[in-house]
Amino acid sequence: MSASDFLVLNHVSKVYRRNQSLIERLKKSESGGTKAVSDVSLTVRHGETMGLVGESGCGKSTLARLVSGLMAPTSGEISFPPNASGNKSRLQMIFQDPYSSLNGRWTIEDIIAEPIRVHKLRTGSAAIRARVDELLVQVGLSAADAEKYPQEFSGGQRQRICIARALAGEPDFLVLDEPTSALDVSVQAQILNLLRDLQKNLHLTSLFITHNLSVVRIMADRIGVMYLGELVEEATSEELFRKPRHPYTRLLIDAAPDMDTSDRSLHPIAGELPNPAFPPSGCRFHTRCPFAQEICRNTSPPQKATESGGMFRCHFDLDLSDATVFPPAAQVRMA
Amino acid sequence: MINATAPLLDVRDLTVTINREGRLVTALDKVSFFVNPGEVLGIVGESGAGKSITGAAIIDLLVPPLKRTGGTITLAGERLDQLSPKAMRGVRGGRIGFVFQDPMTSLNPVITIGQQLCDTIQAHLKLGGNQTKKRAHDWLDRVGLPNPDVQFKRYPHQLSGGMRQRVVIALALCADPVLVIADEPTTALDVSVQAHILELLRDLHRESNVSMMLITHDLGVIAKMADRVAVLYAGRVAEIGPVGELFNAPRHPYTRGLIRATPMPSATGEMRLDQIPGAMPGLGAVPPGCAFNPRCFRAEGDCRATIPPLYRQESSAFSCFHPLERVPA
Repeated sequence: MSASDFLVLNHVSKVYRRNQSLIERLKKSESGGTKAVSDVSLTVRHGETMGLVGESGCGKSTLARLVSGLMAPTSGEISFPPNASGNKSRLQMIFQDPYSSLNGRWTIEDIIAEPIRVHKLRTGSAAIRARVDELLVQVGLSAADAEKYPQEFSGGQRQRICIARALAGEPDFLVLDEPTSALDVSVQAQILNLLRDLQKNLHLTSLFITHNLSVVRIMADRIGVMYLGELVEEATSEELFRKPRHPYTRLLIDAAPDMDTSDRSLHPIAGELPNPAFPPSGCRFHTRCPFAQEICRNTSPPQKATESGGMFRCHFDLDLSDATVFPPAAQVRMA
Repeated sequence: MINATAPLLDVRDLTVTINREGRLVTALDKVSFFVNPGEVLGIVGESGAGKSITGAAIIDLLVPPLKRTGGTITLAGERLDQLSPKAMRGVRGGRIGFVFQDPMTSLNPVITIGQQLCDTIQAHLKLGGNQTKKRAHDWLDRVGLPNPDVQFKRYPHQLSGGMRQRVVIALALCADPVLVIADEPTTALDVSVQAHILELLRDLHRESNVSMMLITHDLGVIAKMADRVAVLYAGRVAEIGPVGELFNAPRHPYTRGLIRATPMPSATGEMRLDQIPGAMPGLGAVPPGCAFNPRCFRAEGDCRATIPPLYRQESSAFSCFHPLERVPA
């Protein structure tokens, strides 16, 4: 682990076991289960925002919960360095739904002050209140809002309160799980800009999880792409979009409709997302991949390093910088 | 017969109010637009702008306390707003098909999808049992379900989200409607599946030449699918125009704000994100004058005093006293 490494995930897996029957329990047999996260290795460096993208069921939220310690991994290890004062690094999380993540019976002051009290960051009610006011102003609200209750605020304002609460703990590391997915476009832009400013001013290290490639492109320095529990590619934000190495990344970039009204073509990915409980053999993407060969069906692809420090999992070294290299999706439709 | 130049659907001054313990709150304020035969009209706006209410009001599916209190709705020369509830049942699913956002809740979980299709076909078309079944099979095939014979006997929970939405689309189209209203048809789906469903809608639209109202908050979907676009804000029409014009040279400041706030890489690959300050006013809290004036950088005194009328210009219309010049957004 080098000095700049902050969070290191080493071959982390998480299996959700299904309930065992009595006989299975007596026989102590392995019941199997859904491998939500499968052998993910990842490093987040100091001061960097690592983005994670993927569709539903790819394990990105499970990974967020593993990193935040809300669940223990089935295998592998997650390590944080101790911070300057020798204590464990403090971590805070921002959730997707600002309606269910704030306690409606607490005032905003109580909500934001809680991490300050728990971690004993300030003593005395006046000092705590001063810190709450400061945080509210920092996230674009006013000190007068401290007396109010969450239901008096709109979705965007509630997400600002969640951000203030996360910052109140003075975290070294922030986990953001789809922080803008529940918000409207114009409000989403406000929250993304606020988060970008905070990243810059507070030098936060963070893990930013979303299904929206455009959002992650704006927010992250490096991006990891997940598919059915596996990390299939990881590269700097710039390189991932300019020269993706995994076919899924390329297809995902093209699948989201952009706002160009002169080219109205759509680019669906062939087939459907397989059930994550029963991932395909070999390369998990082979059922939908236009480049799939015999080897992809049988052998799991190795993890390959790129010259620029990225990683991808594919048997082939494809040049996917140009979208036109793809055979039309119609040929493999409903595979 | 439908006149080739007359609009298929003509909505004028559609007003919907909410009765909140005796206080009337306007949810939709004199919304006017039309859909030409064979056209896809996109309706875009943020949550609370009134786009879903517009769709529901047209087929008279407003849930109390929402109530239609004014305006006319004309489908191919016939006034829908004056039809009896019984006659309206014949229109819903018959001449107007509807695709809802969530395919899980819009299908009956205890009836096979084949039976649901047959029920819809029999309710609207005079067909015999065998012909009905054949038509249902054909539709399952047309919307791209593999093995229609097997799928016919399956229940909604046995299908994936994308497959369910295909069934909902088959239900909307199986009785040969003249208009399909699709309310956020891909919002509940993943990106890779969304493109499939959009492609299917587009193919079916080209084959049958049915008119379509596509309601969505996603500007990308609108850019790829719509011929013309109506932008709604706080229950009013902000701007209507052909899709290319609206995206490349919007006249209403809100339209441009919405486009620029959407995270999208520009042609050079550089990311920009311009936010609109504030948030859309809630129901009953719409400011006097133009509803957008507290968030608008061009707002002046007249914007705060009077509601701007819809200025019509050739193919487009906008509701703004100080519109943007026709320059690229």
